[in-house]
Amino acid sequence: MARSKGTQRPNKMILGRTLILALVCGIVAFSVLAWRLYKLMIVDHDFYEEKAVDQQTRTVSVAASRGTIYDSNHNALAQSATAYNVFISPYEIQLYSTKEYKENEKHYGDDPELIASGLAQILGEQGSTREEMLEMMKDTKSWYKTVATKLEAEMTDQVRAFINEHSLAGVHIEESSKRYYPYGSMACHVVGFVGTDNYGLEGIERIYDSKLEGTNGSVVRLVARNGTQMLFENYQNYNDAIDGNDVTLTLDATIQSIAEKYLQQAMKANYIQNGGCVIVMDVKTGEILALANANAYDLNDPFSLPEEKLEEIALIEDEAERKKAIQDAQYAMWRDMALSDTYEPGSVFKIITMAIGLEEGVVHENDNFRCNAKIPASSIPGRKTDLNCWKRIGHGDQTLREAAMHSCNVAFVNIGLKIGAEKYYEYVDAFGLREKTGVDLSGETNSQWWPDADFMDPLDKSSLAAASFGQTFTVTPIQMITAVSAAVNGGYLMEPYIVKEIDDENGEVIYSREPTVVRQVISEETSALVADILRSVVADEGGTGSNAYVPGYNVGGKTGTTTKTVIEAAEERKEYMVSFCGVAPTEDPEIAVLLVLDNPSNESGIYIGGGQMAAPYVGKIMGEVLPYLGVQPHYSPEEQALLDVTVPRLTGMDIVSAREEINELGLTVREIGEGDTVTAQLPTQGAQVAAGSQLIIYRGETEEHEDVEVPNLSNKTVKQARNTLQNLGLFLDTSGASPTIDGVKVASQAVEPGTMVPYGAVISVTLVDSTNVGEY
Amino acid sequence: MKKYSTMPESAETAEAAPRYAARELRDRTEESRTERGPMDLPFFLLTLLILTIGVVMVLSASFARAYYSEGNATEYFVKQLVFAVTGVVMMIVASRFSTNFYRRWSMPLLLFTLLMLALVPFIGVGKSTVGANRWFDLGFTTFQPSEIAKLAVILSFADLICNYRNLMGTFKYGVLPFAVILVVVVGLLLLEPHISASVIIILIGAIMMFAGGTRWQYFAVGIVVVGLAGWLIVTKMAYASSRITAWRDPWSDPLDTGLQTIQSLYAIGSGGLLGLGIGQGRQKYMYLPEEHNDFIFSIVCEELGFVGAMLILVLFALLIIRGYWLALHARDRFGALVITGITSLLAIQVFLNVAVVTNLVPCTGISLPFFSYGGTALWIQLIEMGIVLSISRDIPLRKRKGEKDK
Repeated sequence: MARSKGTQRPNKMILGRTLILALVCGIVAFSVLAWRLYKLMIVDHDFYEEKAVDQQTRTVSVAASRGTIYDSNHNALAQSATAYNVFISPYEIQLYSTKEYKENEKHYGDDPELIASGLAQILGEQGSTREEMLEMMKDTKSWYKTVATKLEAEMTDQVRAFINEHSLAGVHIEESSKRYYPYGSMACHVVGFVGTDNYGLEGIERIYDSKLEGTNGSVVRLVARNGTQMLFENYQNYNDAIDGNDVTLTLDATIQSIAEKYLQQAMKANYIQNGGCVIVMDVKTGEILALANANAYDLNDPFSLPEEKLEEIALIEDEAERKKAIQDAQYAMWRDMALSDTYEPGSVFKIITMAIGLEEGVVHENDNFRCNAKIPASSIPGRKTDLNCWKRIGHGDQTLREAAMHSCNVAFVNIGLKIGAEKYYEYVDAFGLREKTGVDLSGETNSQWWPDADFMDPLDKSSLAAASFGQTFTVTPIQMITAVSAAVNGGYLMEPYIVKEIDDENGEVIYSREPTVVRQVISEETSALVADILRSVVADEGGTGSNAYVPGYNVGGKTGTTTKTVIEAAEERKEYMVSFCGVAPTEDPEIAVLLVLDNPSNESGIYIGGGQMAAPYVGKIMGEVLPYLGVQPHYSPEEQALLDVTVPRLTGMDIVSAREEINELGLTVREIGEGDTVTAQLPTQGAQVAAGSQLIIYRGETEEHEDVEVPNLSNKTVKQARNTLQNLGLFLDTSGASPTIDGVKVASQAVEPGTMVPYGAVISVTLVDSTNVGEY
Repeated sequence: MKKYSTMPESAETAEAAPRYAARELRDRTEESRTERGPMDLPFFLLTLLILTIGVVMVLSASFARAYYSEGNATEYFVKQLVFAVTGVVMMIVASRFSTNFYRRWSMPLLLFTLLMLALVPFIGVGKSTVGANRWFDLGFTTFQPSEIAKLAVILSFADLICNYRNLMGTFKYGVLPFAVILVVVVGLLLLEPHISASVIIILIGAIMMFAGGTRWQYFAVGIVVVGLAGWLIVTKMAYASSRITAWRDPWSDPLDTGLQTIQSLYAIGSGGLLGLGIGQGRQKYMYLPEEHNDFIFSIVCEELGFVGAMLILVLFALLIIRGYWLALHARDRFGALVITGITSLLAIQVFLNVAVVTNLVPCTGISLPFFSYGGTALWIQLIEMGIVLSISRDIPLRKRKGEKDK
């Protein structure tokens, strides 16, 4: 070999060892790496992928819009609007505030002090304070600390501008929604409200929460460690939010506001010391058209207590007790008396007793019922005292219809005894009075009755006697009105309900409620008779419900007055519960209205009783609701003559036609001046005035008048009141008991005596029939 | 073995001098250059293939960081591309020099290296990520003397082994000179301190000695000595011991010492079988530090998956095996040793880098040849490949085609 000498061929040992190295470095080492990569990338792939994706993605929740609650006319009672939450990420703030970061990269201007004071300044009372935020930032592991919720767009824009101005990485805005209740406190106990997390806490909001809330969606986004979107990376996983369903109620905002208006008036006029509630029900379907409790609260601010309550609570010194008092007061405020509280219905229950008696044929319309003011204890097995009629001198001889008109206890106890305990309970059950009505509202409680064995004890008929005129046992207002509806609607017990329809986010109907007949309790004939007898209670001379009279309509009804048995027994004082349940029109009942007032004070000056305290307001509700529902009034000639008149437009007319027009309306006129045309008139066009009022027209002349002091019209007859006002240049407008009934007098007036009003103003008064007062 | 140890030392040195002179003369003549064959094509093409993939991966791994830090997504890629192209030119130029040229300059290179290593603590610069001065600032780029040191050790050791070829079995010639050089070089490196380079240089020195014929027994002693020293360093230096802790349980300090390892494992593990696709990786968005440097292989795994990562490892393995094949067929001892050294260095770097990113060994800064961003290191790696190619040209073509040597 020519070159072997100079090139020093590697010897065998070098070759051998190189071969070993080749094996180790070329094969073994790579096998180890392959094994390691296999372990990490194939075996443990899922573990690492999950961790990696966890840190690389940011999930932003997209709030579903909560469904709207509508009344039956599609007025929104509760609706959601977009609002914003602001949260900070202590982790990011800490990360981008470090000195090292500030020196190397300068994309973000995060600084705890800057953020805390800046946000606190923008958010003010709507968010956390500067100190609170600095405290939150100490939890540097957290990515999410909420500093403000439910912000309006305007303030959110300020926060956004603040973020952009300082290039903040650790302050974020997320969309959420805010619940608005356009009607404020209206139907508060029905609609209910949501908490800060938009979770339904009361009412429909609570019971239908799962329907209303919808499903939150999310957007999963890949982000760089600094929180910005990855370059050239479009991976985004949308999970669309599904908006909540819309709930449409049977409740009608107009009827509800009418009911609430008169409930408040009744509460005020009668000095009601506890609660009060009113229910308006469609008797044919069981739809609840209105349901209101006196303890109303603003749904937009449901935790705020009335001021007088706050003052009362402020006096409590112990912190824990004060907190508890606040909570108790809130629960009391949110309590739905119409469903959650039971009461002794009193004489209203005579409707049920009468219906049972007629259906069973144990009594007939023209049977004679003699009332000698009391039934001796000896006549009722088990009763220890005599049973008195509310009328101390007794009602004498009377038919069934008259007994109902008189609300005669004696007559109804006799009817009850004739029916017998077993039959009586059978019907009580049939009327659904011993079970919950099943209304789709929260908080319904059940009635309290005697146990079967006690009630049906042949040796003790005292409970049957008490039940016959509605004493001692208790029912809820919703049970009472449902049973009365069954008694007058042809005999069908309906399941009351308030949710009529539920629509999904696309407007597709997913639930539609049809009226549910639970059972037929009495025959249609019996029912019609009961309705007609109730009409007599209101409309006929001597009826105890005359204050519920509405001109043009056949309103029927029954009064109720009880002293609370429990309180009377325990505290030896009387606390009353007065009520009135009306139905109309009696020839074909459409609606029932039950007004219950808890604990009136005799300071009101009004005789304590359902006829005086509750009936007038049920009448007023009927008077507004029936025309609203399109029920045509039919006036008798006498009614026509006494009806309020709407003042026409007279200004601009020639004097002859003006006189004719006034004459046709049954009004009189006082003319001022000599001109041929009417240049002005009092009162103005559209005002309601009592029949026979004297209008004033000006024929080219004018008069200057100072304001007039409103006189006290209390206890004046319609004629007296009209004349008193006329002499002062004022006008009268009446409502309440029929002016046709003798002895009807002014009970209250809309404008307080002594108030100064302009010349020509119309003063509204409420008429009450006080000829026949008593605890009926 | 015994045969070598009994050879007189003088004989070796005496024989060597005239031969050098003769060879030098021949190198300068034109025909000696034309005598050499073409460079080894498989080795050359494998190098180019790996380099190409590496540069592409620098683009993929660096664009996010470049965008956020420099405002230009291709900033690092373009630089790396320029270094790669110029590096390939350097490789080809290096392949033109003769084997003896490298042997002649091996000792001067070692001295030059020692000088630089001695100077770097004084006039070198550090980087914010590392608390040590390891770089010279060349203005357009930085340059790590430790990279040259590796080549210097390979060349000088090969030269010494050839010089003492019959005495390698002795302690005096087979161990001592090498040990002295290693102690000086590593001592200077530890002044910086630069543990990963020290480890690599000790390993490569040992491999050279092993290939050169140093006796097994001395390696046993050497392992004990190095092991002790290593144990001392690891326990006494807080910097090193924290690395050990982070290696054993990266999650004990996930935001500081364990951060790189954890993020690397996330990247590798989330790659799965086929990966997220090139350019589609997510860990490079500032989650994984040094993503286009020491941890570029993690991004490779994330984006190309197990299949892609294995393909790249196989390419490396093929290159390395081809390197050893060339070593085995080299026409002279020096050339064989140099190829063995350079190939082993490549293997060590690849192995340690992948071992680090997969947390097989404690985290330390070892770049992945042809992949990791870094201009001068790439240049030196390509020059090393050029040296291998240069030596390959001495191997007759028929030999390379598998024909038996006559």
